[in-house]
Amino acid sequence: MAGGSVFECKEYLFKVLVIGELGVGKTSIIKRYVHQLFSQHYRATIGVDFALKVINWDSKTLVRLQLWDIAGQERFGNMTRVYYKEAVGAFVVFDVTRGSTFEAVSKWKHDLDSKVKLANGNPIPSVLLANKCDQKKESSNNTALMDNFCKETGFLGWFETSAKDNINVDEAARFLVENILANDKGLPYEESNGDRIKLDQETVAAESKSGCC
Amino acid sequence: KPSKGCEHFSLYRRRLNKNALFRANAAGEHAALHRQRSLPHRPPLIPLVARMADQNTSGTPAMTEREASRLDKFKQLLAGPNTDLEELRKLSWSGIPRQVRPITWKLLSGYLPANAERRESVLQRKRQEYFGFIQQYYDSRNDEHHQDTYRQIHIDIPRTNPLIPLFQQASVQEIFERILFIWAIRHPASGYVQGINDLVTPFFVVYVFEYIEEEVENFDVSSLQEEALRNIEADSFWCMSKLLDGIQDNYTFAQPGIQRKVKALEELVSRIDESVHRHMQQYEVEYLQFAFRWMNNLLMRELPLRCTIRLWDTYQAEPEGFSHFHLYVCAAFLVRWRKEILEERDFQGLMILLQNLPTMHWGNEEVSVLLAEAYRLKFAFADAPNHYKR
Repeated sequence: MAGGSVFECKEYLFKVLVIGELGVGKTSIIKRYVHQLFSQHYRATIGVDFALKVINWDSKTLVRLQLWDIAGQERFGNMTRVYYKEAVGAFVVFDVTRGSTFEAVSKWKHDLDSKVKLANGNPIPSVLLANKCDQKKESSNNTALMDNFCKETGFLGWFETSAKDNINVDEAARFLVENILANDKGLPYEESNGDRIKLDQETVAAESKSGCC
Repeated sequence: KPSKGCEHFSLYRRRLNKNALFRANAAGEHAALHRQRSLPHRPPLIPLVARMADQNTSGTPAMTEREASRLDKFKQLLAGPNTDLEELRKLSWSGIPRQVRPITWKLLSGYLPANAERRESVLQRKRQEYFGFIQQYYDSRNDEHHQDTYRQIHIDIPRTNPLIPLFQQASVQEIFERILFIWAIRHPASGYVQGINDLVTPFFVVYVFEYIEEEVENFDVSSLQEEALRNIEADSFWCMSKLLDGIQDNYTFAQPGIQRKVKALEELVSRIDESVHRHMQQYEVEYLQFAFRWMNNLLMRELPLRCTIRLWDTYQAEPEGFSHFHLYVCAAFLVRWRKEILEERDFQGLMILLQNLPTMHWGNEEVSVLLAEAYRLKFAFADAPNHYKR
């Protein structure tokens, strides 16, 4: 545990959004990912809920993901611009058992791309999650259609997920983080420009002491 | 304080065990992971609703002499042919005894007239009117232009108070759906907005108490007469409507009432506790990120239900309680945690604290202290320059 040097360990802090229609399972996905828990008993998110996931990415890299769970009705509240600020990645979630939530994916994606961009002007990397796949009725193969949809809409890719049965949640997150890291060109935060959240120096020191390396 | 009521909460014990396991696992994890455990739920040690010496939602614990004398004062006041509403407000400000809370809430909200003789006919008329709406509109919930509204309500109802068995009963969920749907289509400027579902709960619980003696959270409503349940439904609808009338711009497009109040909260806190305010600025925490919910759900997500009921005693006694005094309560609530806030040294720590404030042990005493502080702030800052203007 001890002995890691502050200077050998790269630390990243990324703000990632989780958006989509109400009741598609955004909160459940985050609780599964962060707390390894599932419950039928989450209340509807109001405004935004915040969670943090710390990932020992590799022996020299610590990634801290700020997950921003945005209320499904938030496009009505008209405050998504405030919540999206400084995000560097996003999940857009829909519920495979409710077609209308898939129809809303394009709206969310458009809302996202129109309100937040990377420093170089590109859209932030985003991944589409087809959640509640444990409840999927027909076993039809939509792969080609979905691939095409992602290409047209500007998603990096898509995953069938189940927060309930813990299917593909970690995989989807790893995929998104890989892409965020690639955008970052390997620069830890302190050396890159200011489009991300500041790391508090004390925290960096404290957490490096306990050692990610 | 020991917590009565735990024993009839097998649900909680199950969750407790789960959490204990979870904690045991987590203990082995890396220290840096500590923050990941952002309190997924409030620890389930105490039932959400009942607790020792709590008269808001539990049965009828023994009264102290002081409580008995307060109850007498209420009864005297309510016994006359014309209730003096001013006196009733004064008396209610510091809490309403459970036994007289239903009638007092109905009087203070303006649902019932001060004149005792007229009450029965008003109740009859309003209840009929509500069920007239149901007959007239409820079938339209699957029509194209209403189905989105109905679906949203239908998704949110099972997850309103998900841990209280009372609200998992199908007939209770149907009542909530009807109340919310009718309100939404009669108020097209806002429609159904998430959070409004929570606001029905205190009325429903208090009005159930008009008909039962026992504790409410495990109460089986099918043991009530149909008539009683219908009355509870209609009364809850009208009182919720009265409440929402006073804060409607919280729920119209872009929620301007909430935006304004969050700004006002920030401005107020900057003057009552500069170090807390500066601390939040330093770590770039924005008030909107945590206080949106405080305004949208009237602190119901931050407090146990029993505390919300006590809080609403005062909100209904206070002029513009829900629309204006609430702001001072939020300010007092934030500053109440100043020590914990100032100890946090980064953005994520602050956010996780502010979204999971440890109030699960709170009861009437803590709410009373909060309210007294809010009252003091209201006076101290009411005439100050740059004061928040409505």
